[in-house]
Amino acid sequence: MTTYTICVFTSNTIGLLNRITIVFTRRRINIESLTVSETERKGVSRFTIVIKHESREEVEKLVRQIRKIVEVMAVFGYLNDEIVYNEIALFKISTPLGAKPLDVETINKEYKAWVVYWGLDYVVIEKTGVEAEIFDFFQFLRHQHEILEFVRSGRVAVGKTEKGLVEYLPEAEWAYYL
Amino acid sequence: METVSVLSDIQPAVETAPADRQDFASPPQPAILPLSGSEALMRSLLAEGVDTIFGYPGGAIMPVYDALYDYQDRINHILVRHEQGAGHAAQGYARMQGRAGVCLVTSGPGATNLVTAIADALIDSTPMVCIVGQVAKRLLGTDAFQEADVMGVTMPITKWNYQITNADEVPEVISKAFYIAQSGRPGPVLIDITKSAQLELMTRPFHYECCQSIISYRPRLVPKTEQLEAAAKLINGAKRPYMLVGHGVQIAKAEDELRQFAEKTGIPVATTLLGQSTISTGHPLYVGWLGMHGNYGPNVLTDQADVIIAVGMRFDDRVTGDASKYIRQAKVVHIEIDPAEIDKIIRADAPVVGDAKAALKALLPLVNANDHTVWRNEFRKYDAIEHEKITVPSLSGDSEKIQMGEVIDLLSKKTNGEAVLVTDVGQHQMMASRYYKFQRPNSLVTSGGMGTMGFALPAAFGAQVAAPDRTVVAIIGDGCFQMTLQELGTIVQNKQPVKAIILNNNFLGMVRQWQQLFHQRRYSFVELQNPDFVTIAKGFGMDGHTCADRTTLAESLDTLLAHDGPYLLEVIVEKEENVFPMVPAGASVAQIRLS
Ligand SMILES: Cc1ncc(C[n+]2csc(CCOP(=O)(O)OP(=O)(O)O)c2C)c(N)n1
Repeated sequence: MTTYTICVFTSNTIGLLNRITIVFTRRRINIESLTVSETERKGVSRFTIVIKHESREEVEKLVRQIRKIVEVMAVFGYLNDEIVYNEIALFKISTPLGAKPLDVETINKEYKAWVVYWGLDYVVIEKTGVEAEIFDFFQFLRHQHEILEFVRSGRVAVGKTEKGLVEYLPEAEWAYYL
Repeated sequence: METVSVLSDIQPAVETAPADRQDFASPPQPAILPLSGSEALMRSLLAEGVDTIFGYPGGAIMPVYDALYDYQDRINHILVRHEQGAGHAAQGYARMQGRAGVCLVTSGPGATNLVTAIADALIDSTPMVCIVGQVAKRLLGTDAFQEADVMGVTMPITKWNYQITNADEVPEVISKAFYIAQSGRPGPVLIDITKSAQLELMTRPFHYECCQSIISYRPRLVPKTEQLEAAAKLINGAKRPYMLVGHGVQIAKAEDELRQFAEKTGIPVATTLLGQSTISTGHPLYVGWLGMHGNYGPNVLTDQADVIIAVGMRFDDRVTGDASKYIRQAKVVHIEIDPAEIDKIIRADAPVVGDAKAALKALLPLVNANDHTVWRNEFRKYDAIEHEKITVPSLSGDSEKIQMGEVIDLLSKKTNGEAVLVTDVGQHQMMASRYYKFQRPNSLVTSGGMGTMGFALPAAFGAQVAAPDRTVVAIIGDGCFQMTLQELGTIVQNKQPVKAIILNNNFLGMVRQWQQLFHQRRYSFVELQNPDFVTIAKGFGMDGHTCADRTTLAESLDTLLAHDGPYLLEVIVEKEENVFPMVPAGASVAQIRLS
């Protein structure tokens, strides 16, 4: 299984998420993660979708099917070494009176994670990194403390190219969108 | 560093919209009252040149129907008997016109009844614009009366869909709808319009501009030169080249270009089911049709070609049989407007992305004149076998009951192969394709990709409306007829001279054939107790008669064809006849069976 990151640029319209995910569902391809946000260009949304697949050929076919959707401006598929990518995770850790104190130094220095909120008897720690780093940190915390909540975002990614990806979008009266 | 991505998909160049859509600015009007959404819809349709709508009213579309009342002299609305009928009629219309068919239906059940036709239009690339009523904006998502999530339901089966929730959106959305439905690879578009948007007034003056481009949607019409050159090189080097022609050629109106290309290169031409009639069956380069029930030689010889030139076709599994065993020996040139079709089923060695007309035109000067006589004669050997083993016995008139082939063969002769055949789905569909000798382009309308029973009667009606000067004959099975027979009413009410032939074998014949061949004759629920079809037709006000005896067949067809107005001819045919040749499902095309 190879991990592919698929970046889809679309105009921002209602229902598009549905139309895009149907393409995966129909082919029985599981979406590992999905994030959507507006890009540096107003009116243009960027979907970052992570999938695992054995066959590159099938992924290429998938990319073409996504490209067919009328509101989709461009689709790019990447292997991990072609992008810079990250996720963000939040850990809510129980710290009642008398419990083991938080090893903030290790958390900061070794894991590059930060406490972002101090509650009465809990703290919230934020960690960014790739999937493996986040799970490493998860393992570390799990042995020290009780994890009350854990949440991880989808992957965000930018390509390792000199130009911005939106430069590859079709020519348009972009002023119109600004 | 310039490695954008392994799978990057960068935009092709822009092409402009089809030439026949005139730029339309709204006629100068006095500064009058703002229009309602419904009125704006009417004007938008007129601006698109729409003169015919197939529809069925209901609560959520009443304001549009009310507006339509004032436009009756300019827009011919045809009241069907079921929304599925509206859909298929619009498909038949679109296939003959080469422009989008338009349907107008109400929300909820009206829209869901249309779903089969929409799916059918998508897979057969038929342009269609469906306008569907929806509950008022404030009721959306409340499970209101006749509310259905039509956007959700139709998302996977439309080329594009959109929900209009305010009147100001109407002109722009309708122009986009027509542009998307008719350009590139055509397909169905659905516009869901809330009742509130139909009723409310626009906040600005009505202005209509035909959509000519959409930033994120740019079909490539003219292929790239490198692609053409690579294709020409393969074609020029071929010893046993072979063209497989699909529906795309007809959609692109590239029949002349195809013929010129074939004649210059001497390459034999076979068609898919939907590609039939793109080249006259009498043309010396035409070798027959491909696929599960196609001709013997065209199927077997795909395995011997060294270069396959596939034009406007998508290697459907009914054509390829087991795709893993299909044309592994051949280099493939694939001319196709939809880039997603390239390499989808069969890897192309030389893909040519573009419109079939533009591609064939551009290729013509690049290919060498050739003859390929020896190779072409190969086909004739197989023809002779098929003729002797299948055609002759089929048409011999030796059986007790009439056989389907005899009816079609005779019809073909009596109409000089010039009629438009609209066929339903089943054995009769395959027999019609086998035995009708198409002489003119654009003469077969059938449900290929979906195989929708009930397609023929409404589609024949739509085709007749679009092509009043042509003889339209619907070939229908007794099972299929009972799925949409209520459209007899539409035909009669609109005085369209559709000729319907029911080939009655008292069975769901095609299913029975499979049960006989692959399920040890276990005939599970395929025998029908049929009504008296002629009495039904007469009940609708349509003339007709039954022919059960070979001696009266010719006369029966004469009566049908000579009748002034619509007519139904029921022919009682042999109950357990089988369609051969046949590539069993999952077999390779070389394993085609003659019996
Ligand atoms: C809506 C729909 N339901 C079921 C089928 C499956 N099916 C394909 S052919 C066929 C039999 C058609 O029977 P008939 O109309 O009598 O035609 P014949 O094959 O006898 O010529 C059936 C049931 C279908 N194609 N479409």
